[in-house]
Amino acid sequence: MKPSYSTKIVLFAYGILAIIFLYLPLLSVSFASISRARYLTFPIKAYSFKWYTKAFESDTVTDLVIISLKVASIVTIVSMVLGFFGALAFARYNWRFRHLFQKVILLPIFFPQAVLGLALLIWFNSLGVIPTWKTAIISHLVWISPITTLIIAIRAYSFDSSLEEAARDMGASTFTIFREVTLPLLMPGVISAGLFSFLLSWGNFPLSLFTTGADLTMPEWLYAKMISGYSPLVPTVGMLSISVSLFVIVFAFAVAHLVRMIKQARI
Amino acid sequence: MSDPILQLKNIRKNFDTFEAIKDISLDIREGEFLTIVGPSGSGKTTLIRLMVGMDEPSSGEIWLRDERIDKLPANKRPTCMVFQSLALFPHRSVGENIEFPLKIRGVDLQVRRQKALELLELLRLPQSYHGKRIHECSGGERQRVALARALAFDPEILFFDEPLSALDYRLRKTLEKELKALHEKTGKTFVYITHSLEEAMVMSDRIAIMKAGVFEQIDPAREIYSRPVSRFVAEFMGEVNLIPFKIAGKVLTSPGEIMLSKSVTSDISGQLKKANASCGTIVVRPEFVAFGKGQAADFSVEGRVLQDYELGSRIQYEVEAAGLGLVTIEKLRMDMFDGKPGDQCTLSWAMSDCHLIVGE
Repeated sequence: MKPSYSTKIVLFAYGILAIIFLYLPLLSVSFASISRARYLTFPIKAYSFKWYTKAFESDTVTDLVIISLKVASIVTIVSMVLGFFGALAFARYNWRFRHLFQKVILLPIFFPQAVLGLALLIWFNSLGVIPTWKTAIISHLVWISPITTLIIAIRAYSFDSSLEEAARDMGASTFTIFREVTLPLLMPGVISAGLFSFLLSWGNFPLSLFTTGADLTMPEWLYAKMISGYSPLVPTVGMLSISVSLFVIVFAFAVAHLVRMIKQARI
Repeated sequence: MSDPILQLKNIRKNFDTFEAIKDISLDIREGEFLTIVGPSGSGKTTLIRLMVGMDEPSSGEIWLRDERIDKLPANKRPTCMVFQSLALFPHRSVGENIEFPLKIRGVDLQVRRQKALELLELLRLPQSYHGKRIHECSGGERQRVALARALAFDPEILFFDEPLSALDYRLRKTLEKELKALHEKTGKTFVYITHSLEEAMVMSDRIAIMKAGVFEQIDPAREIYSRPVSRFVAEFMGEVNLIPFKIAGKVLTSPGEIMLSKSVTSDISGQLKKANASCGTIVVRPEFVAFGKGQAADFSVEGRVLQDYELGSRIQYEVEAAGLGLVTIEKLRMDMFDGKPGDQCTLSWAMSDCHLIVGE
């Protein structure tokens, strides 16, 4: 159906408003980060990148980045593996408690993260584990691996099981089937699940707040500095954090595009 | 006759309480094209899955020549199947799909490629298709790629699970003939399952008709068509007129106002008595029923033409015959009924064109 002229105008206006609503706040943070003044006032009187220089020179910021990166990378890798096998069990095989498993595994996504974080903290304490960034990995996994499982399961559902049967019929062993058929076909799902888990872990605040102990991730530090000791370093670090997320997304799209180009060129 | 290549001995397969296969025994001959036909739910897919090793029978034995194989998994059996979905790997090119079974066996890349190109040629696909993606191929081309891949495996027996069912009529007809030609060219044993009788008739050396987990009849197409063993087979093999007869006391009673010649009356009652049966069914195909009373007419009945249907090369008539209900008649264009729906007519046919099914 082709929209009429007036519908087009309404749709266009709606789109613009949605984009403004979503991105204007981010824009103001970016303005705050390049303002010379200590407190944000509009219009900005003088611009400066000195807070970026400070951020790059600061040991605190370097530590934040390292800890957040460590947590996000490990969470990404582990949740991809867990999600992959979870999704196979979720979507591909029939077994007795499958339907129960499908429901139970998705439940943590809908728990309030603060409650989940608190529950894990109490649990760590009763086990005698001192919370550090390593325990945060576990808490992130509790919330993120159900999401990766779901993403990969969607891919696995569209998987024609006769492909595996055909491979077996042509002499392939279980391991060969896995390597030649199952894994490559689920790979797009695994990659996007990995992307999601990195971004969700990188930006996660409530779970980290409860379970990192003395260590600080970037979102935690942002929050702490907002409460007390605000300086334009806060929006600057915020912008850096967003830049990392953007970089990951752009990088992933670029790689996907490149892979497609290479495949086309081979033909 | 040569020894069978594959033997099924008293095969049963149960799913919980449901008996999908009930005591099937079958000898498949080396080099034959055997088609198993049956309506959906008759157990033909279950049976083929047992034969290729994707399921194990609940009881019974399967022998490939001198080797018992019913406990062997599919990847240990020298047989290969073309799936209904074709099961082509979407993440691989046409060539890589064809080479897949060779790759599994660790065949050299160069040898593999050479073989794939040969198979492309055998199946009349251009060599440039080697690098093509699967989703760029048409339905018929995919069909050929799946066939090439199965042939690359070089199986002892090639199984087919309704691979043509998703294609349009014309393409299906072409591929049926190609498949038959390929069978002759390769000399391999082909076992094909389908619910389409037409498909089975065109291609097969023998047809096995399956119903509710058992074989009703296993014979060449012509035999099954003209001498069906049961009403089920007769009706499954296309349009047919089934006329029931009974023996009451010692006298043969014919249904409706059908007129029988003397010789036929004694022939039918003789056959029924010999088999110790009190009833039987005369099977007469629509093309053998004539308008008017011919010389050799053993059966005749009065009727009224209700409807005519254009079938292309033939015309089908529905005739309300006195006391018999509907009789279906098919005539070539040159033998058309010279009248219109509503007209009265006389129908007749000869005993030599009929087949008698003894019993219920």
